Amino acid sequence: MESQEHDHDDHTHPHEEVGRQDKPGYYDMLETAVRELLVEKKLIGADEIRRQIEVLDSRTPALGAKVVARAWTDPEFKARLLADGRAACEEMGITFYDDTLLAVRENTETVHNLVVCTLCSCYPRPVLGLPPDWYKAKPYRARAVIEPRKVLAEFGTIIPDDVEVRVHDSTAMVRFLILPRRPDGTDDYTEEQLAALVTRDTMIGVVPARAPQGSAAQ
Amino acid sequence: MSQTEHLVKRLPNDIGGLPADPVVQTDHPLEPWEKRCHALADVLDFHKIINTEEKRCGVEALGAEMVGKLTYYERWIVAFSNILFRKGILTPTELAKKMEEVAARWDEHAGA
Repeated sequence: MESQEHDHDDHTHPHEEVGRQDKPGYYDMLETAVRELLVEKKLIGADEIRRQIEVLDSRTPALGAKVVARAWTDPEFKARLLADGRAACEEMGITFYDDTLLAVRENTETVHNLVVCTLCSCYPRPVLGLPPDWYKAKPYRARAVIEPRKVLAEFGTIIPDDVEVRVHDSTAMVRFLILPRRPDGTDDYTEEQLAALVTRDTMIGVVPARAPQGSAAQ
Repeated sequence: MSQTEHLVKRLPNDIGGLPADPVVQTDHPLEPWEKRCHALADVLDFHKIINTEEKRCGVEALGAEMVGKLTYYERWIVAFSNILFRKGILTPTELAKKMEEVAARWDEHAGA
């Protein structure tokens, strides 16, 4: 509440001058300074940052959802996806702008998979976009590997005792994507309708995919 | 165990398995500068100037206090600066001058 008040005070003349902004903060100016020096030294191109921002903006969990829906409907594609995640995604036209491998892990009746990066924030950005803040914060990074069932319960996901939980710790080179279980009652869904059921968090492995009526395949 | 042994065994990033608070499902849309910082990281990687592992080590080298108190992208941009100094690509003096120039640009803008 306090911060909202503060925000309000900072913008007492919101329509006075469109385009005029407050002086940037220290780290904002530091980014500008580093970037401009690198451009002046011709180590990076002036247009490269803008173009990379466009690439980043084009990557959202909707891409991963398409991959999952295809795997749910095409067993041969699923086999290729599990064998080489990156190659299967590239087959669907998803380019990998970073030099990473993608390992896809399938949730089944007997195994539930979860992704974490204990050291920092490695994440399958080309197919999911940027990770949420909680993925990069200490509680998730510290605890996912030692008490994954408790962490999952904090997301409302209760894993039965007879289901094995496997936690995958990402590295700079290998990123993980979870293939969630296809919800029951979706046999007559189109690939597009299925993709709409696949959220970011289902592909991190913290929640199951659910059909609209709420029946999860778990 | 000696009183300092844990400092040797665990660098600031190495928190897997440690006790911690419950997960709070936080997120925020990136500030424009944060997004530029992320794009800069990618571009530095493309040009083989700073790779992912160097970036992670650079953040770790900030030490526990900065890792604990700075936000995610604040840690990144400070780490990049330090790595670029260490590689002799930038000098602290030229970065300080450029910072003054960037700040002055905004002061002029505000005074105009």
